[in-house]
Amino acid sequence: MRTGARILIGLVVIYGAFYAIVLWAMCQPPSTFGRFMRYTPNALVFGALPAEKMWLWARAGHLNVGDVAPDFTLPLLHGDTAVTLSSFRGQRPVVLVFGSYT
Amino acid sequence: MPALNDLYRRYGDRAAFYVVYIQEAHPVDFWQTSSNIREHVLLNSTRSLSERTEAAGTCAVRLGLRLPAVIDKPDDVVERAYTGWPDRLYLVDRNGRVAYKSAAGPFGFEPGDLERALKRALETAERPSR
Repeated sequence: MRTGARILIGLVVIYGAFYAIVLWAMCQPPSTFGRFMRYTPNALVFGALPAEKMWLWARAGHLNVGDVAPDFTLPLLHGDTAVTLSSFRGQRPVVLVFGSYT
Repeated sequence: MPALNDLYRRYGDRAAFYVVYIQEAHPVDFWQTSSNIREHVLLNSTRSLSERTEAAGTCAVRLGLRLPAVIDKPDDVVERAYTGWPDRLYLVDRNGRVAYKSAAGPFGFEPGDLERALKRALETAERPSR
């Protein structure tokens, strides 16, 4: 086999392996993914891979439009009371904004 | 965040709004980003409810957040049920069903889509029940 072809196959294998490893990391819990990204050159992930598409696939989640929203009771930031999602059932729609400062 | 404050101001009398404060997206001890360093948004990952509550309080003040916020517990059960990390928008209709789910952040944060879904949900809600 010609050297050129060998190099080409080698590059394809390396790219495939990198793609698979990053996709695996994206499917892990946030702290694992965060630790992975800390030690991985971010420019390589965002530059060499279709990172946005991979991320949206990895973080698609199991909940779909039309599903019953999982109920929860969580403490309010201000005040001693808690909020229960199902208490709004039949009353009013609820907007939920998931996020953090960083 | 200004877009969410604006939605809350315009629809807050007809719909409930809550920020669900979850684990940090880019804590100092895991995956720090250059934009957070520039803006001095430097927080460790939050391991207890009190740490998370403190981070949420700082966030609310510095970003001028008007929406009420609830704090996800350290077991992250609610985040996992909704795949909320690092950020995501949802609308739950009056029947307790998901009416809108954004794509995963940071690529899916589209308050315009949320507003359209909210308008639809409110119109449905205001019609007499079948």
